[in-house]
Amino acid sequence: MKILVVDDSFAMRMMVVRTLRQAGFNGKDVSQAEDGAAALEQIRKNPPDLVLADWNMPNMTGIELLETLRAEDNDVAFGFITTESTREMRQRATDAGAQFLVSKPFTAESLEKALNTVVN
Amino acid sequence: MGGMTNSRETWPDVLDGFDGITRIWDSKHRLCAAKILPGEYYVTRTHEIITTVLGSCISACIRDPLSGVGGMNHFMLPGDTKRSLGRWGGGECLETRYGIAAMEKLINDILKQGGSKDRLELKLFGGGTVLAMDVNNIGERNIEFARQFVRAEGFSIAAEDVGGPHPRKVNYFPRTGKVMIRRLRSLQTKAILDREKRYESNLASEDQSCEIELFD
Repeated sequence: MKILVVDDSFAMRMMVVRTLRQAGFNGKDVSQAEDGAAALEQIRKNPPDLVLADWNMPNMTGIELLETLRAEDNDVAFGFITTESTREMRQRATDAGAQFLVSKPFTAESLEKALNTVVN
Repeated sequence: MGGMTNSRETWPDVLDGFDGITRIWDSKHRLCAAKILPGEYYVTRTHEIITTVLGSCISACIRDPLSGVGGMNHFMLPGDTKRSLGRWGGGECLETRYGIAAMEKLINDILKQGGSKDRLELKLFGGGTVLAMDVNNIGERNIEFARQFVRAEGFSIAAEDVGGPHPRKVNYFPRTGKVMIRRLRSLQTKAILDREKRYESNLASEDQSCEIELFD
């Protein structure tokens, strides 16, 4: 499964990649982007099976990325990993067609649980 | 009301999400002071003080000098202190998720209030080895994480006062960037460490409630 990790924090991207590796996802299947705009470009060129995105990012936020993808009829599996998760955010994520939202600091177990919903 | 000081009667408004932070009147500086405890953070757009007391915990003081937004956090890495942090801003070691989240929350809120990432001025304090019997060097590990994170994210450290055998009281003035540090005597050390210990054990229970929401 090809996974794209989108976060403007380098340390956080490394953390997500490390957790994915621990959950059995090979490093070569995991790519990264530093904001929504860079991710959109990558997704158009090389579609992943799953996008794991932060919410707050410069240039294009995670939710803007998801809404843009859905407007382009791209139904790639999409999950959020965020420090903030308000009721409004969760509602907007559901409305836009996200599969899950995990809040930071996340555990390896919670990320695995969320990933399993996509894998299965 | 004029100049840079606030009158006691007209405390500056608190930004959304920070209502839970205790604010007191600092009569010496004639300013409002937000007191943050382990695990908390505070961001402001007005001229006030953010104050905290650090044992082995770390506080990052971050501001955008142009837009006048600034804030402070207070955190530590729990758990196995002997495990290597690895490279990449600590992203290799799962315990650093608390530190990364603490830094990210503070930075995100500063950006949300109009700060610009490329202008952020960052200062680091704390990470004391405040007990001679602290063989695990919790403070050192917190310092190592903070420095790695700063480097990995492309920031530079404008000032720091870290390590050493004493706890510190930090007064941060985000409007001007000024920081006043008072090194505390060992008499106060136990109470500070007890508070940090409670915070560390709360982090473990926070894991149990790590929020995950699966949508239909």
